[in-house]
Amino acid sequence: MQVFIAQVINGLSLGSIYVLLVTGFNLLLLVAMIIHFSYPQVVVFSMYIVWVVLRATGNNLVLAILAGVVSSVAINLISAPLFQKVMKKRGEVDINSTMVLSMGIGMIITDVLSHTFNQGLPIAFPDALASDAPIVRFGLISVLTGQVWSLAVGIAAVSAFFLLLYRTRPGRAFRAIAEDPNGARLVGIPLLRTGLYSYALSGVLGGIIAILLAMLLGSASPGLGEQVAHKVLAVSIIAGLGNLAGGLVVGLFLGILEAIVQGYISGTWSDAIAFVIMLAVILVKPKGLFGTKL
Amino acid sequence: MPLPLYYFLAITAVNVLMAWALYLPYRVGHLHFITVANMAISGYSAAWLVMSLHVPFGWALLAGFALGGIVGYIVSLFIGDAPTFAVVIVGFTFIYITRTVIENLKAVGGTMGMFGLPNIAGDPVAHRWIILAILYGLLLLVGFLIHRFDHSQLGRAASAVFVDKDLAASLGVDIRRLGMQLQTFSCTIAGGCGVLYGFIYKSFHLDFFTFALVGIAMTIIFVGGYATMWGSLILAPILYGVPLLFPPAIQSWRIVIYGALLVLVLVLKPEGFITRRFVYSLESFLSGTRKKRNTL
Repeated sequence: MQVFIAQVINGLSLGSIYVLLVTGFNLLLLVAMIIHFSYPQVVVFSMYIVWVVLRATGNNLVLAILAGVVSSVAINLISAPLFQKVMKKRGEVDINSTMVLSMGIGMIITDVLSHTFNQGLPIAFPDALASDAPIVRFGLISVLTGQVWSLAVGIAAVSAFFLLLYRTRPGRAFRAIAEDPNGARLVGIPLLRTGLYSYALSGVLGGIIAILLAMLLGSASPGLGEQVAHKVLAVSIIAGLGNLAGGLVVGLFLGILEAIVQGYISGTWSDAIAFVIMLAVILVKPKGLFGTKL
Repeated sequence: MPLPLYYFLAITAVNVLMAWALYLPYRVGHLHFITVANMAISGYSAAWLVMSLHVPFGWALLAGFALGGIVGYIVSLFIGDAPTFAVVIVGFTFIYITRTVIENLKAVGGTMGMFGLPNIAGDPVAHRWIILAILYGLLLLVGFLIHRFDHSQLGRAASAVFVDKDLAASLGVDIRRLGMQLQTFSCTIAGGCGVLYGFIYKSFHLDFFTFALVGIAMTIIFVGGYATMWGSLILAPILYGVPLLFPPAIQSWRIVIYGALLVLVLVLKPEGFITRRFVYSLESFLSGTRKKRNTL
């Protein structure tokens, strides 16, 4: 029972990160109307920037966090015109071509990481950011700093995001575009500017996720982005593309499922089992459990 | 034949076939990355048949094709008419699962892979010639079949599905059946390619079947042109061959170059270099007719 509880705690913190990732992904999908498949690769790139700044500044956390957020926002804003151009060239929004473009960006990011940083070897974050000292220990159950932070910040960030979406003017603009882009344009909502806000906002979320992932995992590798990207797209599809509430439920569920499987089954098989379950759901319900919002 | 030339010719043929395996389902808007998983499944299975059960290579190759087709057919029962992103994620998920299963199977060498596959003919030189003959024979056959498909009623139906699914359905196109047929055929090609891929190197390793392979096939099809089969045929040797002329330091950035090329082409020339309009113009020019044709 203790193992189960420990793994549920693990799963909740991991799940909160999936929820954040899916939220950022869905924001871009609904407002900018792109499938930013390599969004997690952008997050992993930010993790590397955090690592570089920590090393360069003697573990200055504030600067590292700032650099992580700025780099994520910068990549998102730099890639925004590329996505806009692809959509413009096709004459109408072609969501599949944005996914292929995003995969191209992901290929570049992953390979640049494996060539440029730490000779392609995985990086380890210093204790200043990713301490594995438990805050609370009870039998087999131990709660780590990274777990508490990722859960707390995850809940706070998702709450803030939903508040922004449902209680503010820009949030209404986001939802209006998601609901009906032409109608939104008719009532005077600037599509391009609001779209850019969504790139920036998902960039901020990406930076926060990078810090939380660094705290939770304590390390990163160039291939991490690809693996997370597939999970995020899978969660998003299972939940129903663009379904924010569905993403929240499925993201948390996947985190807990993965942690529980890891608790009872050898490491190499655990990922595969999570993927088999995801695959089964996608094969049976390719349009998602909660309905797509596109 | 010099060894580098052999590898260039063999890998180019595999790349063209893999790009065509992606091209076919993409005719109905499906990015069917399960082909890479199929390469691994069929390749390892055939190698196991040859190494452990001493099955002749020809039968193992046929088994590889059949296995690819069977896996493709079973999966297509579920995603024959699924949205593109669902097909993409099914493909990626399949790659992960396949890799994990192979990693844990001692019978196929686990993480170490399978080495020392036998020559399919008496000596290494004959082995290379036979591999090339099979590959280029297959290339001609598959190319012919795809060309016939593109110019058939089914090909036109696929074009209609790509442009507008609802319209195609209202015109009587069975979208699910067409998707299933294309996915199954694509997986069959991939299965055979997987077997040949391993026998080119006379070994199998999980590093052969990574997401980089997906990236290469995707770059070939989208940069070459996803609307016709000719783009892949022309671009595959260029994409594989040109980096070989560069110094090793630049060659190691191959994937970055492919990624940048993919991004640039999608932004500047979304249909790729060889467009359908270009092919029609060329065909008209070569046949001496200038009749106007509708292009989709």
